[in-house]
Amino acid sequence: MSAFFYLVWSSGRNRFLSSVRRVRSPRYAAALIVGVLYLWGFLFRPTTSGAVTSIFVGPPTETVVTLLLVVTLMGSWVFGSDMTALAFTQAELSFLFPAPLSRRALIRYKLFRAQIVVLINALIWVFVLRRGGGPLPSMLRAISLWALFSTLNLHRLGAALVRSSWREHGKTGARRHRWSIAAFGIVGVSVIVNLIAHRVAIQSASGVGQFFTTLAHVLSSAPASWALLPFHAIIAPTFATSVPEWAREMLPAVAMLAAHAVWVLRTDAAFEDAAIEASAERARRLEAMRTRRTIAATAAPRAVKAPAALAVAGPPAFAIFWKNILCLRRTAQLRLLLGPLLMAIAFGAAFSTDGADTAAIISRSAAIFAGLLVVFGGRLIRNDLRQDMQHLPLLKSLPIAPGDLMLAEVASAALPMAALQMLLLIIAYVASLLWVDVPLTAGVRMGILIAAPFAVVALNGALLTIQNGIAVLFPAWIRLGPAVTTGVEALGQNVLATVANLFSLGVALIIPALVGITAVSAMDTPGVSSFALAIIVAAAILGAETYGAMRLLGRAFAKAEPGSTG
Amino acid sequence: MISVQGLTKLYGDFTAVRSISFDVGVGEVLGLVGPNGAGKTTTLRSLAGIIAPSQGTVAIAGHDIQRDSIEAKRQLAFIPDEPHLFEYLTVEEHLRFIARLYGVADVEERVPVLLAELELTEKRRSMPGELSRGMRQKLAIACGLLHSPSVLILDEPLTGLDPGGMRRMRETIAARATAGAAVILSSHLLNLVEELCTKLLVLRRGECVAYGSVDEIIAMHPDLAGRSLEDMFLSLTGDPDPAR
Repeated sequence: MSAFFYLVWSSGRNRFLSSVRRVRSPRYAAALIVGVLYLWGFLFRPTTSGAVTSIFVGPPTETVVTLLLVVTLMGSWVFGSDMTALAFTQAELSFLFPAPLSRRALIRYKLFRAQIVVLINALIWVFVLRRGGGPLPSMLRAISLWALFSTLNLHRLGAALVRSSWREHGKTGARRHRWSIAAFGIVGVSVIVNLIAHRVAIQSASGVGQFFTTLAHVLSSAPASWALLPFHAIIAPTFATSVPEWAREMLPAVAMLAAHAVWVLRTDAAFEDAAIEASAERARRLEAMRTRRTIAATAAPRAVKAPAALAVAGPPAFAIFWKNILCLRRTAQLRLLLGPLLMAIAFGAAFSTDGADTAAIISRSAAIFAGLLVVFGGRLIRNDLRQDMQHLPLLKSLPIAPGDLMLAEVASAALPMAALQMLLLIIAYVASLLWVDVPLTAGVRMGILIAAPFAVVALNGALLTIQNGIAVLFPAWIRLGPAVTTGVEALGQNVLATVANLFSLGVALIIPALVGITAVSAMDTPGVSSFALAIIVAAAILGAETYGAMRLLGRAFAKAEPGSTG
Repeated sequence: MISVQGLTKLYGDFTAVRSISFDVGVGEVLGLVGPNGAGKTTTLRSLAGIIAPSQGTVAIAGHDIQRDSIEAKRQLAFIPDEPHLFEYLTVEEHLRFIARLYGVADVEERVPVLLAELELTEKRRSMPGELSRGMRQKLAIACGLLHSPSVLILDEPLTGLDPGGMRRMRETIAARATAGAAVILSSHLLNLVEELCTKLLVLRRGECVAYGSVDEIIAMHPDLAGRSLEDMFLSLTGDPDPAR
């Protein structure tokens, strides 16, 4: 492990020093100041309110978080998490794979390296939860979060190894992991049994708070309570409100962590055993798989046919858009939409209580999903400059104006996301037609539907311009490429980034919002059409702001040089 | 075709290239040689508009690469030593993408010819991940040649090619020059430079230490007369042991 420790330590130190040296540039220095102020405001600023704790810490929240945990982990089994859990860098592949190291040693290295992300995110959450003024000392909270995230990381890695084994060994692999499969099957069936058995109580809950309280109550009865016990054990210390309670809850959590560690290493052994037992053909395939670096982060693009042939004549920038749409079609990971989808369904159901009909749940869930995609969409698809900056020398040698390039890159991600959101809003509208006690009038719903295309294009355009702008202005400080940082253990970083993006969007929305409000106020009898018109005007202003920002970013791109990305 | 005047590139306090000037005319092939770290790639990237010169000017077919960059870039092709390919586009899609960017009207006729010339016909529907290193290099070369550039800038063009591919690449470069293209190639393969280049630019630590045809360089450095190109290179760059 000493060589691995040396590698991680040296890489981390050099990366840190390299980032610090960037601060000599005024642009990076300004970004550092803004970043420090942001972190202080979001994480470190002292508060006297205990509201955060009172809202987010309690038995209903604990149960709901347990359920979310189960769903997230099941997602890594159903949809796979191989891409991130088993990701090795190119340098690691070049040096470590040919080195005389066992697969188990490589996995131990992955676990060791993952501790950096785990520790950073544990710290972030300690500060986030500290703002609520909870009674648990921060150090103990940090240990709980470390154990929680480490267990989750191990679980995702184990799931990735099992899936990898299935792919390689077919039924043999599945038989070897029958206990893992059976355990998750039992958990899923138990939860579903409880939800079906108590569906009337859930549907008749009044209000969001009551909905989650009822859900917690439903899941606290057998058989779900038994099935969820191991998952509850993992998160229980994080929700402890006193030191004795924490000490009591920590023991099962550590046991779960140890069990996961053993499971991952045993899974690895099973993998190797299976390889030895397999036929000579299988052994050759395993070797071929290692050579092809299947275990690495980069999955092969899917061979999907191009949606349309690229015409020879026309604006060159459209070629960039066409290329990036192909990138989206061939590399998009639909499993990334699972989280927002489940959140949307949960909140759609939570808001549709008091015996609301199915149409209400569908309508609300679709609308919430569309809204969540505005918030998280930019993190989910990256078929834009965040990926293309890796090809900076090629892009800069092309005969295309930098401003046009920026426009094409942002549009490549913004328009597909806007199209998906519009589809969801249309579903919400159609479902609302079947909704018995729909709270909005037909006119208001139609007004929203008419204004929505302008709003979603403008919002996505602005948010993705911000994210592409960061890639152009600060390439040395952000992760370039297709990889999306996923996993609950990286949630802290993702929350910080998302809040920062939304804050920037909020600043960009000040003028459009003021103009829209002023326009509505100036009208004698503002009606639905006035509000729709105000949204369209505000969207147009936001679009103009975004276009101006793209032109400025185009100039920055023209000055960007390959060395600035490292 | 290519006119470079006082090209200088600074990275902070470090001078990567110091005030070099040269011209490459129609049908000429300039060999850019020098030891590792001499500034060859920086020079080529400046010519291709990838990085901006700190001082000096670069004109491609009469267009300044900084002020009139789009017109200048339309005239040139830059083929780097490490092929930059989009992992999600097939071989044929790469060529169609480049055709749109450069406005190649007769792409339907050119693509099959180019694929056949570079032995990529059978791989036209393959993704770059399915190609060998040499095939990837050939695809990058095909992308560079598709729009029949009047200026060809090649950084180690034979890297990764098999002997047959090397021979065809040498023939392709010579044919393009004969057809009127101005070519700059950077290579450590001095036999390639000797075979193809009409003149040389020798760099050492970012400075030009020799420029002109072999005869012109010998005229300026009479002590080099009768020596091989390798000996000339070692003498000019002051590196007695190139392996070091």
